Amino acid sequence: MNREDLRRRIGVDGRLLSVETWDQIKHTERFIGGAAVVFVLTFSWTISSAPVISDFVQGYHRLALSMMAWMLLGLSFNFLLGQTGLLSFGHAMFWGGSGYAAALFALHVSGSPLLILVVGVLFSVVLAFLSALVLLRLHGVYFAIVTLAIAQTLYRLVREPLEPITKGINGLRPSFDPLLGVFALGEYRGPLEFLGSGMYVFLGIFFVATIVLITRVRKSPYGLIFKAVQENETRARFVGLDVWRYKYAAFMLSAFIGGLAGTLFFMVTGPGLMSGSVVPERMLWTNSGNLVVMVVLGGLGTLAGPLVGVFLFQWMGSVLNGLGWVIPGLSILGPIGQYWQMLVALAFTAVVWTYPEGVWGMITDATAALREPQTIPEKLKRKTPGLRSDAEQGDDR
Amino acid sequence: MVVAEVIQFSFNVLFRASIYVLVAIGLSIIFGSLQYVNMAHGALYLFGAYLGYVIAGTNQYSDGILAGMGQFGLDAGFVAALVVVPIVVFLAGVVMEHFLAKPFYDRPLLDQLLVTFGILLVFQEVVGEIFGKSSLLYPRPDWLLGAFELPGIGVPPGFESVSTVRVIAVLLTLVLIGVIVAFYRYTNYGLAVRAGTEDTEMTRLLGIRVDRPFLLIFAIGAAYAGIGGLLGGFQFGFSYQSGVEIIIPALVIVIMGGVGSLRGTILASLLAGLSVAVVGVFVPSMSTASIYVLAIIVLAFRPNGLFESEAIAQ
Repeated sequence: MNREDLRRRIGVDGRLLSVETWDQIKHTERFIGGAAVVFVLTFSWTISSAPVISDFVQGYHRLALSMMAWMLLGLSFNFLLGQTGLLSFGHAMFWGGSGYAAALFALHVSGSPLLILVVGVLFSVVLAFLSALVLLRLHGVYFAIVTLAIAQTLYRLVREPLEPITKGINGLRPSFDPLLGVFALGEYRGPLEFLGSGMYVFLGIFFVATIVLITRVRKSPYGLIFKAVQENETRARFVGLDVWRYKYAAFMLSAFIGGLAGTLFFMVTGPGLMSGSVVPERMLWTNSGNLVVMVVLGGLGTLAGPLVGVFLFQWMGSVLNGLGWVIPGLSILGPIGQYWQMLVALAFTAVVWTYPEGVWGMITDATAALREPQTIPEKLKRKTPGLRSDAEQGDDR
Repeated sequence: MVVAEVIQFSFNVLFRASIYVLVAIGLSIIFGSLQYVNMAHGALYLFGAYLGYVIAGTNQYSDGILAGMGQFGLDAGFVAALVVVPIVVFLAGVVMEHFLAKPFYDRPLLDQLLVTFGILLVFQEVVGEIFGKSSLLYPRPDWLLGAFELPGIGVPPGFESVSTVRVIAVLLTLVLIGVIVAFYRYTNYGLAVRAGTEDTEMTRLLGIRVDRPFLLIFAIGAAYAGIGGLLGGFQFGFSYQSGVEIIIPALVIVIMGGVGSLRGTILASLLAGLSVAVVGVFVPSMSTASIYVLAIIVLAFRPNGLFESEAIAQ
């Protein structure tokens, strides 16, 4: 293959090895899909057994699994807020609801992982379909608070009145069958050991698929309409767009990904790799609150932002928090670790206050500054992308 | 003894509603007049509860930084707390307005929501580290928990099982509602706030300084939340997470009533108190969640709340 062919294949003009080419490549769907695959292949290995990095990160395989499920939820939340401007404070309803649907299905009907996944996602979508009837008539803070209210109601329901079915605070812990009756989802040994387990591969496939799906939607004309709705709803309506329909679509897509995340998280948190667990706390509003913190901390509206945010938050929560390890020169992390929630809250507040683009925004700005130092002051002046006040919407509130 | 039961039940409802009103009224006014949504209002509730606890008694803490350092507190009693708490929380409200609210008046609503949520989380964690994360209960004098008595008459008929603290709370709330309504209707500050709500810029151009009335409203709302923390904490107990636990129902009540509407907030608080009490009889576990169900039903039919965006206190 010559250079011209290569250029045509990846759809860029100009010289292959230049900053401009890189700028073009990094936004193509193929590159993002490929990066997602590379990420999945290396993530677990990097944090749990890579030579130097894993000593510092102190991760373990199960942490990689739960982080990846959280990342999916982060993508779901980020899609809703970053693309459409709907702030959901109740994403725990998809997170826990799909988990319960999946657990009950696994317990009473079938242990097939794929069927469990379908049921979990379906439940989440139906839940979104019903709650959207009320939710999408509301704006801004109204929307945020009512999503929270719905999630809290479900939490209470699951916890006590439905106890005979959901087993109350003890939760459910069903186990499931090998994938398609053949592939066990347990630990890998031998040449594929760097992947960790079959469950990780299973999760990774859906992770890559979600990234590709979201990129496709973001880049399509259809996805641009979401942006238009976010920028100014009234104007979008005047152009002749059925705003309600697009908000509905965004909400359903977010619920779809949220359900995927919730079911996969249920599958990876069981006592063993071939079993799942779900407890009422998964529907508690703190999950929704933490999710908001993670995504905004990482960087709202970008693809990588939620992933970075989830990683930082989960790492601080599980590793820094229970720090029984001392690395020469890093022993100070020990005493700090127990205040991690306060630190995260402080960081979150600081980010919203001064640098709404989050940690990922800082990274991209830093790399941009290396290339063109004069762009930084402009960037700093910019406000949060697309978060607008209700006052601007005027009469349609 | 049907009468006694009805009275007892009514005071259950009214007491709950009082706590909700005290917290929600400040939220609603600030939201309605300043277009500022203040999740950190929950921190003021928390502040009121803990400050009252320190003033009312001396206590040994079992965890947190203060653990093992002996007794802490002024042992000045509940009445002293009732006087000091609103004053201190009022001042805290002034500080909060200056440093937290003012820089955000012109920022988008969701920025405000996120940053005040962050502040609430930080404050909650700090309190949890200092006082410990276990839930606390006020030192309880008998005269506050015993049946309500009038001097000279004794216990009024039907009031045998209504504790004094509930009656005090309900009466106090009625007075405080009266104060805020009077403030709006009859003072120049209230007039300035109403004008500033309509159009801040135009009011400024007319030469009216709206900053100070806004500050005052903010701080009054804060003081109310502090009193709510004191009374609610006394009756139900409290922990470092109480601020978040109250702010969620309070926000739900505010939007159920219609943002900025005093009538709506009061009515929604009463409905919420009623649903908590009634559902609490049949399905205790769903009592607080019933507020959310109620709000969802109300908003399904009236997306702008019970009394939508009317000018305040008309």
